Amino acid sequence: MKYLAKYISIAFLFFILLSCNKKLDVEPGTSIVPEQITNEADVEAVILGNYKSLQHFSAFGERYILIPDMLVDAKLSFVGTFIPYSEILRKQQDKTSSIAEGIWNRGYQLINTSNLALSKMDLVSDDNKAAFTAEAKFIRGITYFMLGGLFGKPYSAGNITTNEAVPLVLEPVLNSSDLATGNKPRATVDAVYKQVIEDLQDAAANLPADNGARANKFAAYAFLARVYMAQGNYAEAAAAANMVITEGNFTLATSFDMAFNNAANSPEDVFAIQQNEQSNAGVNNNGLTTFFAASPTGRGDVQVDPTIADLYEDGDIRKTYFYEGESITGAQGSYTRKWEKRYSVIPVVRLAEMYLTRAEANFRNSSAIGDTPLNDINAVRDRSNATAKVTLAEDDFIAERFRELAFEGDRYWTVKRLRLDVGSRPYDDDKLILPIPQRERDVNSQLTQNSGY
Amino acid sequence: MQRFYSLFVGMLVLMSQLVYAQQHSTITGKVTDARDGSALPGVTVQVKGTALGTATQPDGTFQINLPQGATTLIFSFVGFGTQEVNVGTQRNVNVSLSTSDKDLSEVVVVGYGTQVKRDLTGSVAKVGAREIENFPAPSFESALQGRAAGVVIESGSGKVGQGMKVRVRGTSSISAGSQPLYVIDGMPVISESQSDINNDNTNPLADLNPNDIASVEVLKDASAAAIYGARASNGVVLITTKKGRPGEKTRIELNASTSFSRPTKKRGFLDAKEYTDLVLETARMDGITGARYGDFATEQEGIDYFTNLYTQAILDRFSLGTNWQQQEVNTNWEDEVYRDVAHARQLDLSATGGNEKTRFYVSGFYNDQEAVVIVNRFRRYGGRLNLEHSATSRLSLGINLAMNRSQLDRVTNDNIFSTPGQLVAQLPISPTHDPATGELNSTTLYSNGLIDAAYSFNKQVTFRTIGNAFLNYNFTPYLSFRSELGTDIYNITEQGFNGKQTQDGGGVGRAEYFFTQNASLNTNNYFTFTPHLGAQHSLTATLGMSYLQNDFSASTVQGEGFPSDAIKNLAAAGTITSGSSSNQRYTFLSYFLRANYAFNNKYLVSASVRTDGSSRFGPNKRYGWFPAGSLGWVISEEDFLKNNKALSFLKLRASYGLTGNAEIGNNSYLTLLEVTNYPEQPGFRPFQLGNEDLHWERTAQMDVGLEFGFLDNRISGEIDYYNKQTSDLLLQANIPYTTGFASIYRNTGKLENKGVEITINTRNIDTKDFTWTTSLNLAYNKNKVKDIQGQIIESGQQRAVEGEPIGVFFLPKFAGVDPETGDALYLDADGKTTTDYSQAERMVVGKANPDWTGGFNNTVTYKGFDLSAFFTFVEGNNIYNRAGVYQAAGFGGGFDNQTKEILGRWQQAGDVTNVPRLSYWYGNGHRASSRWIYDGSYIRLRTVTLGYTLPQKAASLLRISGARLYVAGYNLWTRTDYISDPEVNTGVTGTRTSSAPENITSGVDFYTIPQARTFTVGLNVKF
Repeated sequence: MKYLAKYISIAFLFFILLSCNKKLDVEPGTSIVPEQITNEADVEAVILGNYKSLQHFSAFGERYILIPDMLVDAKLSFVGTFIPYSEILRKQQDKTSSIAEGIWNRGYQLINTSNLALSKMDLVSDDNKAAFTAEAKFIRGITYFMLGGLFGKPYSAGNITTNEAVPLVLEPVLNSSDLATGNKPRATVDAVYKQVIEDLQDAAANLPADNGARANKFAAYAFLARVYMAQGNYAEAAAAANMVITEGNFTLATSFDMAFNNAANSPEDVFAIQQNEQSNAGVNNNGLTTFFAASPTGRGDVQVDPTIADLYEDGDIRKTYFYEGESITGAQGSYTRKWEKRYSVIPVVRLAEMYLTRAEANFRNSSAIGDTPLNDINAVRDRSNATAKVTLAEDDFIAERFRELAFEGDRYWTVKRLRLDVGSRPYDDDKLILPIPQRERDVNSQLTQNSGY
Repeated sequence: MQRFYSLFVGMLVLMSQLVYAQQHSTITGKVTDARDGSALPGVTVQVKGTALGTATQPDGTFQINLPQGATTLIFSFVGFGTQEVNVGTQRNVNVSLSTSDKDLSEVVVVGYGTQVKRDLTGSVAKVGAREIENFPAPSFESALQGRAAGVVIESGSGKVGQGMKVRVRGTSSISAGSQPLYVIDGMPVISESQSDINNDNTNPLADLNPNDIASVEVLKDASAAAIYGARASNGVVLITTKKGRPGEKTRIELNASTSFSRPTKKRGFLDAKEYTDLVLETARMDGITGARYGDFATEQEGIDYFTNLYTQAILDRFSLGTNWQQQEVNTNWEDEVYRDVAHARQLDLSATGGNEKTRFYVSGFYNDQEAVVIVNRFRRYGGRLNLEHSATSRLSLGINLAMNRSQLDRVTNDNIFSTPGQLVAQLPISPTHDPATGELNSTTLYSNGLIDAAYSFNKQVTFRTIGNAFLNYNFTPYLSFRSELGTDIYNITEQGFNGKQTQDGGGVGRAEYFFTQNASLNTNNYFTFTPHLGAQHSLTATLGMSYLQNDFSASTVQGEGFPSDAIKNLAAAGTITSGSSSNQRYTFLSYFLRANYAFNNKYLVSASVRTDGSSRFGPNKRYGWFPAGSLGWVISEEDFLKNNKALSFLKLRASYGLTGNAEIGNNSYLTLLEVTNYPEQPGFRPFQLGNEDLHWERTAQMDVGLEFGFLDNRISGEIDYYNKQTSDLLLQANIPYTTGFASIYRNTGKLENKGVEITINTRNIDTKDFTWTTSLNLAYNKNKVKDIQGQIIESGQQRAVEGEPIGVFFLPKFAGVDPETGDALYLDADGKTTTDYSQAERMVVGKANPDWTGGFNNTVTYKGFDLSAFFTFVEGNNIYNRAGVYQAAGFGGGFDNQTKEILGRWQQAGDVTNVPRLSYWYGNGHRASSRWIYDGSYIRLRTVTLGYTLPQKAASLLRISGARLYVAGYNLWTRTDYISDPEVNTGVTGTRTSSAPENITSGVDFYTIPQARTFTVGLNVKF
């Protein structure tokens, strides 16, 4: 009897030990699984999550702006120790460039997040479905525009149905069985531009006119204007820019300096990236301010060619928008004030650009949609106390664009569109676009490499 | 689990009712020394399978009560072989203990039990307290280095409190952790760094007082380790702390020591004269090169241009108005990196004792250790209580508990300008202090790290409690049950501050505060069955379960904008720049069964199986099975060898089994969206692509071993061959970024480790007054990445490449210097030399893992004196000096001060040298290449100790029971071809989970602090 009790208790003990199996079910503490996207608010959160990626240094937080300027020698130098940047400035980047890889990687994260949001639209009420769809497509569209322009031959180089840009992925990848969805060959320049236009047109049609710091209808028109310009479609470019100027609730900031280093959007920000102390593109090794601002605010690695002042007439406020400082390694030099303060809003499209675009597009299209080229260009010049132009030639538009938009990543697109030389290199030189990352070709044999890499 | 425990306790109450009346028989006897027949006092006499025991009297006699059913007594004494005696019907037992079979009769701790070394069929390396005690390093692993064959330990740098890289029989994974599992008194403990990921890893095992350790056993082969199943592929390190013994008179022991350290080696940099001469030579060379390239019309024009440029920008600027032509300032910045002398103090006091009812070990310690590098310092104090009480002859219970606090004053990681190690880049013409102001010089080539040392701090404080409560119950003498409930609570706060003046302070002052809590709950419950099957058979079986739950939570706050340096915490921050908190959990649920059987003490069989379930895998792939089996044959017990005079022991053993690895971090099988904090617009975005089919990484290991003893075991040792095949690698496989993700964990690929381990111990001289013993261990390991599906997994300059050992250096091959032009040459894809770096082909130019590792120890004792000299060595690995591109690149990487090797540079046509022409402007041979790959082999005199133990008479006069005074030296002598200390590895060491880049990255030097050369004086007194 004693023994029986003993062995029963042993058996009982084991029974208990075996029963804590459910202890193995552990929920992740600080993240969610896709099945937890169950309602409209969750879908909206995914769209908002994508703005964080736009803010990333491999997107508008730094590289969409700095790298194009470096590629076309837009009057800047790199005095820092980070080799991937100095390689780009010297056109010595190769297929293992960590910058090319970073831009590519972040771009497709943006695209996948948009695709995920788009695949969940059945959870959204009819009231919001069109606007949410438009917002997801806006982000996807501008991302494809940037990737296509940085990794593919320019539209102006022709052969758009044979020149390759980047793979088009339009469905989300959510688990290991979806991998084929994201494993695509490069699409042609033409296909990418068509997709960009389709996304942006949907965005322009369905985004609200006012959407706080999020993308609004006019942001979509502004990017459409950029796309049409890149295509040399000046009539559409002028019309799109005109929509922003006439229909949008934007005005030029009263003075040039008020367009930059703001805590919130300025009146001329058509679309801008928000930053604050807690959420920004980086303060140590990345971010526009980190590179462009002198030490100790930034690293001061990106210095400005002091001869840029010669491009401005005396009295032009923009001529004095520079300061002397030194880099983190002690190199003395000039710095632009555009990215002088940490945690500031990063203007992506300013109204001033839309005036310049409408002016040039009208000029080249021999039209006067909205206003005359002269009035538009002088609106921008007048704001900075530059004397008004009385006559205009083709070069004036190029020069004014650079005077106004220097260090904002605009020059690259002008160079490509107008087939301008960069030093001794022609506009379609191999080294004036980025390589397809070798790492990517290692895992996707369908990808071709750009010539020259 | 709480419910389970209340039930459990209830049951024990129930069981204790079942105890029936005891019948004792009394055994008496005497224990003597086999060498001369003299009485041995203080020998522990224990009834096998129980806590009952006593100790022999001064005349060697003992008396003990043997409960009914018990038949075996165990006699053990320090320095002698343990003996088990089956008393049968005898009532008087006389035993003589011998030193000759000490090793064979040694009790070895294995998972969930112990075994006698003679009966082991697995490969287990044991390191005793003697080797670990008083070693002047923060963590006990340092003391193991070179002591156990096949266990490779790298401390990485001379900083204190840093993570350690430990590999048992090679690296057996690529993307999953490869550190062994650490188990203290049966409780798996937190061993991976919990510190700020932006700094070097720290070592949580440093919280264990090394002087509390009784023994460390490393389970190396599958047969030994498989009882830890899913967590055993990387080996298991079992740490057993000191315990009191029955019948032991209470002994109080005091240890005190003080140490003085300096770096083992300084690199040696140019002095002011050499530096200025070389800068001017660089200007001349760049001028000539410029003319050659057509940048200048004449050489003189180029020379004038560059001389003017470099003089102004470097020599004038950084000499701060001092006369650099006359070397008015000649700063040795390398000296500024180190303390003049780094002090360490250590004090610990312990008491141990016990009787049949209660046994205890209690200790307290204080330890304060300065690193050789400035700022870095590690201070610890704490205590331990190990207590066991026998409530009845059947029931005993107890607790092992340690609590301590440590404080680590840190420096930034090797790759930050502010770290002291990078001070060597500053120019010898730069004064440390600005002569105009007397303040620290802020006009230096790179921000002056001395400013950071003065106005920044990073302090990490850890509170650690490791303990378990346990209970043993003997249902019958042959069936017992043990239950353990343990916890490891690790609280760590990290406080950092960078003053306005400092580089990291960004001109505004920055501070941060991290709080991390990591708590493990563990319970082990198992039955041990040791039936009597007659004299020829012996069987031990173990059946049980284990559950582990780990909860991690962390919070961080960072702020900036301080009014002054007066207040250094976040209360004074103008802006909070970030704040966050997170939490995670993982669990393991396991069941295990093991049986060891011996026939006639000759034929040994062991088999075990464990199944583990883990929260780290998806619901369908949660459980894994890990079986192992082994055979042993004690050939010397066979009749044909039994009376052989020369051969005293010979055993052949073989094992095969499966073990697992799950060290990939939590939730890796799930697709996850992370939280984003775009201003005012919180959201989600995908960041991890899941794989529901993810399962254990499996390692199948075969081991064949031969153990031998000759001439009364005066020469003994073992030889092992192993073959470890890891498959289903938990590989972080790259996938196209176009999927929106960078990688996915997949079970794919194969890796192998094969090797040989040899251990030989000899007693060369063994007399009462004079002894000389030698031990040698040697291990050879060959690692090969067999299949990673053609992927290239790269980390820094290193790779995992199919067909090569993991962590090969993959760099352009430097091919010397063109004697005509002084241009650096590389090999191109066709094997021809080229001066164009972009044409240089990257190739395998070295490997980070050694072929041979080992240790060699000699101990001589004469009367009260003892002297031991311990060498460790490593052969066949390379070291890459990643800082070479800055500090030995002929100014091509900047005007950093250069190491002296640059003095051998090419100067004129016809010079035959391996150091290219100096050039700043054009650069020459300054890009990463095999130019800075060195042979990393070394042999070093790791420890030499001279001790004197007071004679018994003198001790009695002082009314103490013993005292030993010793002096020791560490790293006194090293032979290596490497330019700095060869025990070096910057950055990640000690990573257990996550993507574990340290599997690939090792043997890299980047301004890394060398190891310490230390002198220690210590005193050990027993009361």
